[in-house]
Amino acid sequence: MAALTPAGPMAPMTPPAIAAEPGGKAGRPRRIRVWRGVVLLVAAVYFLVPLIASFTFTVKDSSKGFTLDAYGQILSAEGFGKSLLLSLGLGVATIVVVLLLTLPAMLAVRLGLPKLKPILEILCTLPLVVPPITFVAGITTILQWGPDHLADTPFFQTIIAAQNPDFPVVLVLAYVILALPFVYRALDAGLGALDARTLVEAARNLGASWPHLLFRVIVPNLRSALASASFLTLALVLGEFTIASLLHYQTFPVWIYTISGSQAQVSVAVSVFSLLITWLLLLALSSAGARQRSGS
Amino acid sequence: MNGAKVELRGLRRNFSGTTALDGLDLTIEPGELIALLGPSGCGKTTALRCVAGFEQPDEGAVLVDGSDITRVPANRRDAGMVFQSYSLFPNLSIRENVAFGLRVRKVAAAKRHARAQELLELIGLPQIGERYPHQLSGGQQQRVALARALALEPRVLLLDEPLSALDAKVRVTLREEIRRLQLSLGITTIFVTHDQEEALSMADRVAVLRAGRLEQVADPATLYDRPATAFVAEFVGTMNRIPGKLSGRTVTVLGQDLPVEGDVPATSDVEVLVRPETVIVTPDPSSEAMILVSSFRGSTSRLRVQLGDLEMLADVPGHDTVRLAPGTRVRVELVERPVLVSASSDVAAAVPVPEHDVV
Amino acid sequence: MTVQSPVHTAPAAAGGGSRPKKSKSWLATVPLLAFVVLVFGVPLVIILGGTFSREGTLSAANVTDSLQGAYLTALLGSVKLSALVAVVGALLGTFLAQAVVTSRFRLLREAVLTASGVLSNFGGIPLAFAWIATLGNSGVVTSALGLDSAGWSLYNFWGLALVYLYFSIPLMVVVVVPALDGLRPQWREAAQNNGANTWQYWRHVGIPVLTPTLLGGVVLLFGGAFAAYATAAAMVGGTVPLVTLQIANALSGNVLIGHENVALALSLDMIVVAGLVMAVYLPLQRRSARWLR
Repeated sequence: MAALTPAGPMAPMTPPAIAAEPGGKAGRPRRIRVWRGVVLLVAAVYFLVPLIASFTFTVKDSSKGFTLDAYGQILSAEGFGKSLLLSLGLGVATIVVVLLLTLPAMLAVRLGLPKLKPILEILCTLPLVVPPITFVAGITTILQWGPDHLADTPFFQTIIAAQNPDFPVVLVLAYVILALPFVYRALDAGLGALDARTLVEAARNLGASWPHLLFRVIVPNLRSALASASFLTLALVLGEFTIASLLHYQTFPVWIYTISGSQAQVSVAVSVFSLLITWLLLLALSSAGARQRSGS
Repeated sequence: MNGAKVELRGLRRNFSGTTALDGLDLTIEPGELIALLGPSGCGKTTALRCVAGFEQPDEGAVLVDGSDITRVPANRRDAGMVFQSYSLFPNLSIRENVAFGLRVRKVAAAKRHARAQELLELIGLPQIGERYPHQLSGGQQQRVALARALALEPRVLLLDEPLSALDAKVRVTLREEIRRLQLSLGITTIFVTHDQEEALSMADRVAVLRAGRLEQVADPATLYDRPATAFVAEFVGTMNRIPGKLSGRTVTVLGQDLPVEGDVPATSDVEVLVRPETVIVTPDPSSEAMILVSSFRGSTSRLRVQLGDLEMLADVPGHDTVRLAPGTRVRVELVERPVLVSASSDVAAAVPVPEHDVV
Repeated sequence: MTVQSPVHTAPAAAGGGSRPKKSKSWLATVPLLAFVVLVFGVPLVIILGGTFSREGTLSAANVTDSLQGAYLTALLGSVKLSALVAVVGALLGTFLAQAVVTSRFRLLREAVLTASGVLSNFGGIPLAFAWIATLGNSGVVTSALGLDSAGWSLYNFWGLALVYLYFSIPLMVVVVVPALDGLRPQWREAAQNNGANTWQYWRHVGIPVLTPTLLGGVVLLFGGAFAAYATAAAMVGGTVPLVTLQIANALSGNVLIGHENVALALSLDMIVVAGLVMAVYLPLQRRSARWLR
């Protein structure tokens, strides 16, 4: 920039000699291409090596060289089916509860109570600020304190029932809270794109009843937002370790951790496997979203 | 401040297979406002971007006052540019936007601000310096963009369809304002547009481009009255195409013999190009021609007249609308003056399309 | 009636139908609000109450304890690790995003964005194991490159940072790509036209416009790393001082008798730190949304 005269705004139109070199222009894009190539290469190495190495780790065998035994052992490993089923069950229950809670509330706020919107937004965002481990610290304290003080009340039975190891409702409650921010954002975006008010008024005007409206008009139009909310919730529940392990429940991630001591290869194999599942879920979700967009 | 002379010499530019510029030659005189007019993809924007330095021509040169600037980087050229829309920096106030070039050149803050204020007064918005772009209307934003383009006192001003994103009313006032400013500053201006009305009303000369080549360059009146080619004739203004018989340099059309102007095709079956305002329509119950539609436009009315299997447009004075209602039988004549003719299938895609030029 | 209907062709019917709707719509929010207050609010109140009581009396002793000795080291360790991961992750994520956004290959862009979506959710136990299998003491890369004899260990502060970046960088990509897409080419050209070179464009326009998004990304990354427990627990156990590990330790009963509530005080410390950092994020988000519209 030496050619620019700082003294005044009038710049000379005649170029300095260096700028007129024909190579000057071609050099810049090449430098950018090289820079971009380096960035992409480093990123590829950093992100792919752990995946490849994990896979290698699970299939190498000191005697045979290559074996898929670790993957075969996943299914037969003790506790696999039970913990996976537990996590899936918790996931489904969480999705149902969180959607039943948020969808009507958010619709109502959007349609008739715009003043409540900031309150709802803050309430649903707050769990982001509270790390799960602190949340579980609070829950543990309640669960320890409860039996001592509520032994004679019906609450006691409720608290005991909520901790049933076969299906710990307390985890569902906690996971609903953890999922709230993600579900809120997904649904808010979906409702925003929908113009729910016009849709509802048009349907009401045509004489649709409320249940009909909710399940025949709103839900189908929100399919992609609901799918993305559900996916995020499921991914969250399937991967959640902190709360489950500190409350001593054998969910899927806790199980992986438990077996890692004795069966390192299997635990890594399950980790690879769970990443694949996440990937497939996301692909299914994005293609469903794309289908809906092209359909409408 | 006075304008520079800009010369485009044999500009050629290809974009992966499509030719945007195909040997464009054009000289813009100092202080002149020239409009580059043409349909989408005719290369007008590419030509402008070659002058600004955002595009490099594959062949040819751009000269400013005789010196070759083809390879000068965009940030060292002495040309201010106004973009189609949304070009103001959103994070800077209006004053900082206008003073951006001065800041980059390390001009002292006080001097910068004074100059920005001067420019804001020039564009008639002296009190908005502290505001931000998203607080302004589209028309105000484009004025500020103009002020920013003028801040470095460039000798060439480049306008890339600056009005196309605005409301019709704002468009008209703003184009008058741009023209007034341009005349008072005497700055050489290249104005890209697809709107022929805009080009005709603002420019000293209009250059019509077609497929990367110059079709005709002339002052607006000449361009309208004596288009050099059938493409220009149809692109600029509205044209009727009426079948006629050619003999020598005379054509017989609607029973009249009219002299022919410009090129004469080889065949004798031709189409005669006639402007609606040169079609004379008078009520005549015995005639076979009939008015189909009449649309009133204030000072004039545009009539759609059926004559056999031919439909044509005619502009008549507004006060004649009553006696020329739809259904009226009329006699159709042409004003006695030289006409352009073309072979029947010469002009295919010459219809002006009000679309944004993508290239 | 507050309904402003564009389709009010039958006002009587719509009005009659809408009036009960209003009272119903109020009810529809009750379950959610009640749930959040109960399931989320009660534990928070317990944390707050427990923090300020020791052996049944009102006391700030837990807070004092949580801010000294090993607990303070752990809290600072967490903040340091999270800050490092947030800043480095934000920088690298932005570079990666810029490399992808400016690329002409649509497929590359799609692939990186999808991968980022998946990897930003890849945390917890599986992530730790993938890295242990790669660069742990008997990891594939460790033995292939003979890193173990060179004194390499994954199980320390830097190892954790390396692993945390694995989900932080993709999260940053997801956050920053829309903002980079929002940088209009006209801005760059207008800057050039006013005499700015590439660096001046970024300094005066590009970076300022991106700043809210970048800071927002830093905050998100900080929050993610700060709250992470599973990965650290599986990788380093207790060898790296982190506040999440200390809380888990205290919850499992590894505290002095009578000092059980230190876990709650540590939790409160964490919430305060995370809350302060988050408080920066929301207003910034609003500002960038306005600019990039």
